[in-house]
This record gives sequence, C-alpha cells and structure tokens, in this order.
Amino acid sequence: MYYFPSLLYPILLPILGSLFIAYNKKLSIRPSVVAVIIAALVFVSNIYFISFTNHGISPEIFLPMSLGFNFFMQADLMSVFMALTSSFLSLIILIYCLGYIKKDEYETEFYSMAILFLGAMMGLVYSMNLMWLFIFWEITAIASWRLVGYFRADADTLKANKTFLITMGGALFLLLGIIIILLNFQTLDLNKLQGQAIPTLAVVFIIIGAFSKSAIFPFSTWLPDAGVAPSPVTAMLHAAVLVKIGVFAFAKIFHYIPLDVDMSTLVLYMTGISSLIAGGAALIETNIKRIIAYSTISQIGFIFLGFATYTQIGFVGGMLFILMHGISKAGLFLAAGTIEHTAHTKDISKMGNLFKAIPITGVAFGLCALSVMGIPPFGGFFSKMMVIKSAAGFGNPVIFTIFLLGALLTILYLTRLFYLVFFGSPTKSYKETEKGTSNWMVYSVLTLGVLSLISGLLVKFPLKFLINVF
Amino acid sequence: MDLIFINFILLPLIAAVVTAFLNNKSKLANGICVAVFGYHLLYILHNILVAKTAFYTGMNMLSGIMLIAIALVALTVAVFSYFAESTNRKGIYYALMLILVAGMNGIVSTGDFFSIYIFLEVVAVASFALIAFYNNPLSTEGAIKYFYLSAFASILIILSVSLLFVFTGDTSFTALQNAMTSNATNPTALNIILGLMVVGFMVKTGLVPFHTWTPDAYQGASTSVSAILAGIVTKVAGAYMLIRIAISLGIINDGIKTNSVGFAIMVFGLITILVGAIAAMKQNNFKRMLAFSSVSQMGYIALAAGLATPLALAGAVFHLFNHATFKTPLFFNARALEQQAGSCDIDKLKGLGTKMPYTAWSSIVAMLSTAGLPPLSGFWSKVLIIAALWEAGFHTFAIVALFASLLTLAYFINFQRTVFFGKVSPELKNVKEVGFKYLLPVFVFVILIVGIGLAFTTCFETFIEPFIRFLT
Repeated sequence: MYYFPSLLYPILLPILGSLFIAYNKKLSIRPSVVAVIIAALVFVSNIYFISFTNHGISPEIFLPMSLGFNFFMQADLMSVFMALTSSFLSLIILIYCLGYIKKDEYETEFYSMAILFLGAMMGLVYSMNLMWLFIFWEITAIASWRLVGYFRADADTLKANKTFLITMGGALFLLLGIIIILLNFQTLDLNKLQGQAIPTLAVVFIIIGAFSKSAIFPFSTWLPDAGVAPSPVTAMLHAAVLVKIGVFAFAKIFHYIPLDVDMSTLVLYMTGISSLIAGGAALIETNIKRIIAYSTISQIGFIFLGFATYTQIGFVGGMLFILMHGISKAGLFLAAGTIEHTAHTKDISKMGNLFKAIPITGVAFGLCALSVMGIPPFGGFFSKMMVIKSAAGFGNPVIFTIFLLGALLTILYLTRLFYLVFFGSPTKSYKETEKGTSNWMVYSVLTLGVLSLISGLLVKFPLKFLINVF
Repeated sequence: MDLIFINFILLPLIAAVVTAFLNNKSKLANGICVAVFGYHLLYILHNILVAKTAFYTGMNMLSGIMLIAIALVALTVAVFSYFAESTNRKGIYYALMLILVAGMNGIVSTGDFFSIYIFLEVVAVASFALIAFYNNPLSTEGAIKYFYLSAFASILIILSVSLLFVFTGDTSFTALQNAMTSNATNPTALNIILGLMVVGFMVKTGLVPFHTWTPDAYQGASTSVSAILAGIVTKVAGAYMLIRIAISLGIINDGIKTNSVGFAIMVFGLITILVGAIAAMKQNNFKRMLAFSSVSQMGYIALAAGLATPLALAGAVFHLFNHATFKTPLFFNARALEQQAGSCDIDKLKGLGTKMPYTAWSSIVAMLSTAGLPPLSGFWSKVLIIAALWEAGFHTFAIVALFASLLTLAYFINFQRTVFFGKVSPELKNVKEVGFKYLLPVFVFVILIVGIGLAFTTCFETFIEPFIRFLT
C-alpha cells in the first residue's frame, strides 16, 4: 500500500475552492478567475500522476474505516485517463464561461457549484471503494441540480428538479446494489471484490444506476430537458463529464467483476436500442440544444458497446470514445451557445445563413460535427471504428447492425443540423458578428474544433497510453 | 445513577423553581437555562469522550446518546428563544423548558416502566403549557388536540404497565426482558399488553394514524417551541420508547423468527413513511410541511425499531439523533422566514435565495440530509436502516423505504424551487438576511450535519458500536 497524499489535491482543492468562492465576496476577486485557476491546477495535478502510472505504479490512499467504508483512492491508468479528460474539458468550458456568464447575482453560485462538481468528479474517478464512489456520485448530482437551475424562471427550476429526481432515483438503485454487495462480501473495495460471484440482482441494480446517470433509454428523458441550463453547463454536464460518470462507473466496476455473456448481451441490446431511438429523435427535433442532447444519448450507447463486449479493442475504444466524444460534443454545445446568442432563438427552423455572421464558430462546429459522425481522420473516427469492430468480435450480428444503423443516423442528423443552421434560408441576416461576442467564447470553441482534428491525427499517443491498461 | 439523577433531573428542576420568579430579569433566566443545558452537554461529552467512564457501555450508552441530543437541542433552543421570543413572562417560559428537559432526561435514564410513565406526564404537562403559551386560538387548538390524544396514550400506557406488573410482579425493563425470553408467563397475553403500550407510544411519536395532533401543535406553538417539540420531545417520549421496548422484546426479526408486536410496529412505520411524505407534499405552510416530514421520518425509526436487529437498532438510534440535528435548524429557519418575509406560507415567498443566502443554504443542507443525500449525516442512518431490512430478508420493505426518500427529496426541492430559487416577487424586494444571533444556532447544526456525515465511521465507532456490541 502506497500512502500518497497528493492524490487528495485534485479532490480537495476544488471542494474547498467551492467554499472559498462562495464566501470570497469581500476579497473582490472575480469568482470566474478563481474557478479557472483551480480547474487549471486540478488538470496539472492529474498530469503529475502520469509520471507514476507510466512506470507501472498506481498511487494510492487507503484509510481503513469500519463497516467496509474504507476511504480508498487509487490513480490507476484508466482513472488517470478519465481524470485528465474531464478536468481538461472542464477547464476549457470554464474559460468559455468567462465570456458567457454575465456578472450577476447568481454568478458566485454558478462557479462555486461548477468547481464543486469538478472536485466530486475527481473523487468519483479515483474511488476504489463503492461507497465513496456513491458519495461522490451524489455530490455531482447536487451540484448539477443547481447548475441546471441557473436561470430562475419556473420552467427552468422545474426541469432542474426533474433532473435531480430521476438521477437520484437511479442512484438509489445503485445504492441498493452496493448494499447487497456489502452484505454478501463484507467489503466494498473493488480490488477485493475481483473475481467474486456478485448476485445478479446487485448487478442489475448497478447497471440501472449507470443507465440513469448516462441517460440510456428509458431513463433518458431528463437529458434533453436539462438543456434549459446555460450552454456551458450543458456542455460540461450533459456532454463532456456528467453523462460519462455512469458509463465510466460501469467500466470500472465491471472491469473488476466481469459480467456474464447474457447480461452483457442484454446491456448491448438496451444501449443499442437507446442509441437508435435517440438518433431518430435527433432527426426530427427542431430545438438545437435538444438535438445535441439526443445526439449525446445516441453516442453514449457506443461507449457502452465498447465496454460491454469485453474485448481489448472494445475497452480501449470505449475509453478513447469518452475522450473524443467529450471534446467534440463539448465543442458542439458551446458553439450552440454562441449560435443562440447570435440568433436569439433555439429553433433551427428559424435559423439559417449563420455562417456569414459567425464564420469561426461555424468552422469549429463543422470540425466537431465531423468528429462525432466518425469521419476519418478526425478523432471520433478511430474511437467509433474500434467499438464497432469490437461489436463484430462479440459475434452477435443483430447488435452489430443496430450500432451500424446508429452510426448512419448520426451522420444524417448532424448534416441536417449543420446545413439548416449555417446555410439554410440564405436571405436571413444577423446584426451581431463574432466581434460582438466575447473572444473567450470564440477561441475556446475553436480550440475544441481544432482538437477534434488533431486528436485524430495524433491518436497514437492516447492509444499507447490506454493499451498499457491491459 | 445518583450523579445522573442529581445533574440531569434535580438540577434543572431546582433551576426551574428559581427562573419561575425571574419574569423581570429575562437575561438572568436565559443565562441560568443556557448554563444548565451547557453543563449537561459538557458533562456527558466529557464522560464519554475524555474520561471514558466505564458506566457508558451497552444500554447506558443509548441513554448517553439521548442525553447528548436532548442537551444539544435544548441549549440551541434556549439561545434562540432569547432573541426570537418576545413575552413578559420569560421566566415562566424558561422554567417550563427546564421542567420539560428534566422530564426527558428522566425518561432516557430510567430503567423502569412506571418511572417512565411519571416522567412522560411531566413532559406532557410542560409541553401543553409551552404550546399554549401565547394564548392565541391556533396554539390553544394545538395544545388541546395534543392534550386529548396524549391523555388517551397515557391511559393505554398506565393500563399496560399495571397489567405487566400483574403478570411479572415487576415493572422494570429487565423483568419484561426475562419474561419474554424465559416464556415463564403467557407470551400471548404479554404480546397484547405490549401491543397496548406500543399504541400509546405511537400516539406520542405521532405515527400514522395517530399523527393528527403534530401539524396543529407545531403550527400553533411558537417556532422555538415547535423546534424543541419536533426536534427532540416527541422523539424521546415516543420513538425512543419504541426502540427501548423493541430491545426488551429480546427478539430479532429475521424473516423466520418474528414477534407480532415487532412486525406490527414495522408495518405502521412503513405506512407512516409514505403517508407523512405524501401529506407533506400538499402543505402550503412551511411549519406544517416540516411537521409531516417529521412524521414521515419517525416512520423510519419505527420501521427499524420493529425490526430490532442490532444493525437496525443502530440505524434507528442514529436516525433519531440525526433527526434532531436536521429538523431543529429547519424550524429555526422557518422562524427566520416568518420574521424577515412576514410569513411561512409557500405561495407568499419567492426567490429569497439571494436575499437570505445563509438561511437558504443552511435549509438546503438540512433538507438534503433529511432526504438522505451523501455525504450528509442523514444518509448514513438511512443506509444502516435499509441494509438491516435487506439483511433480514424484508426486501419489499427495504425498497419502499429506500424509494420513499425520493418523495422526501421531491417535496423539499419543490419548496426550494419557489421559496429560494424562484424570481423575487416585488413585495419581497427589501427582505434582508436575519442577524448573526439567529444564524448561530443554525450553523451549529449545519456543522454537525456535515461533520457527522464526513466522520461517520468515527462517530459510529465511538457511540453506536459500544451499544450494538451489547446487543449481540
């Protein structure tokens, strides 16, 4: 056992930082600046852990506690990769916020909750004990409840409550699963549970928990509704970080306790169908943020595909998918925020010809969309290719076909979206140009767009990192 | 026992006699009250944590936990009352509060049903007087309702205590426990006696269908009185006694070996959880909502008490303590809203989150703890209860109890949605945060909720484990 206190930095720094932001009114430091600094520090401290994992050492903290609730954190390769991905995306999104979130009375609460979310996310990623994983899981739910309810109109707060209740309902299933495991094995440490025969009921409950957090049909209705939140919030919670919690927990837990074939087939059917339904919904929806939200639901299905097939290529593909989808989907949501600022509507049938008004955002949007579609040589191509290849390896032609159709749908609805927004109805014109919107917004979106391309060209680096997990 | 008697029963009673004459010197009366409760808290904590007195093991540890909870709530309510209550009979007010606390301390530190009956009546009389203290129609109504139902409960309790005496020749807990385990007397008759007694304590706890007095009493009483009633009085007079009886039954419900009295308590508990939560959703007055929420939380304690496995009892006791820490500050916050915004009707309040940030966020912490969200204290006690239910094979009970916390969350976040997070209505534009003196007692509880939540295992090892080890 290595006692490695610096593993606490990425967890405690944001959690304490959120308290600091909430109470620093007298210090006249902008909360946004504090938030960006903290997010940057978290990202840097995660990079620091690579130097250990590259040498095959996994830094750990282990504090024994009674009843099996040991505080057990471990920075293994998989967790470090996930932590790097989510802290990096959070950093970019918080930089975008510098231009997006107005200086008003809710600003402090926003940054405080965003940073709390980041800290809880880091805690969740590094947790090796199921109870602590659950605790951090619920803290992310509390933070996202306040973030979704940022605007104070009745409809907004109602939908924030809906999000909270549905994810909490799923979390209770997860809790029940954890309790069953605790009662059966008297331990919740994942490394000690390795190879144990977990009761099927517990497995089912944990999967339901993961599905509800990652918005898999039929637990998906909260995700499109949560689009009432400010765009950076949707980007952070509902594209880049929060929805990945469920699928990451699924991967981590069932990496130690493998599912049997029947169960993984069931998971694959459910996620595949969810992917198709969401793809179809994205094709007919007219609200831009709801389209992107449905697109997220359909893409999450692919990540589950990678993990549930239990092949090496599927696992690496799934992890890679989390990174690639995070980058390009965050880019799409942030671009949607800029589009909304310019067009003053979310309805794509009332938009058109926006490319002239916001060309840089348009290019970035295009780059991200191509990556999500899975067009080579963009990053999304490699991850999607790998998970679909793993479906072929799984040997079930129906599942393979479902996901192939899902990939096709992705191309259709994103092309439709891109065309209608940027080139449709050529007569429309807009007063505002990109000079009107903040530079922070334009360049953070562009960064994500360019990264979608570069991550594909340099895909061998993350791949090399991930292959070491096995 | 002698020291306990002198410190926890005699001392407050003597103090009550003194403060009753101090109507004109409210500061002094308050000082005496705070000093007594503060001394209680320090005394008990010193004995358990620092001196590690051997006395506090097994059942005495249970008494110890209860004494801490009583002293804590009483102390904060006494401090809060100093600013929040305006009356020219402050001396009497504090005297009643001291008598109330003496009665509660008596209940938790005795080992005999007859003594408990006496102390119950002390508590009941002090409570009637405190509820009806301001003589307005609403408070008198609440007091009278409580009086009638409480009298009914007292009759049942004294009847069953005397029948118990006839059967076993003794009224102590140990006599009951011996009779239950040795089967020397007729177990069916004993079960009927216990059933009568349990119904009596259910009325005192406010379990469904005997809950009707709680909303009226809590709404009618002044808010500081509601805080002590909801926070601790009904718990000591009712829920604690249910736990105590469950222990004396000497049974462990594990699906195979059940006791009908224990099972009946469980069923009533489960119904109470649901009815309380659903009724809380429909309330428009914040204090009534809190009252129903209290009813619903008592259901969890009854459910666990009826199950009576060591884990369940640990959960029940822990939940009892947690309930004191999260319900009391909510009543304080209700008072803050009443004073600053002029009302605690939900439809009259809107968007106060930015106007009263400390009140808002301390309420949110307490509410999330009630709903059982980690890492707050309420989460752990619920986990213990659910785990105990599942372990004993009551899977349906476990699932219903677990998902009922969604209902709790639903009515609380619906309340916050308008009251704290809505758009500020024009007539509330000039509302300001209450002063620090109102917030201080609330902060104490918020720190406890978060602190116990984070240091749960330490608290468990220090307080709960010595008590469970005794049971197994």
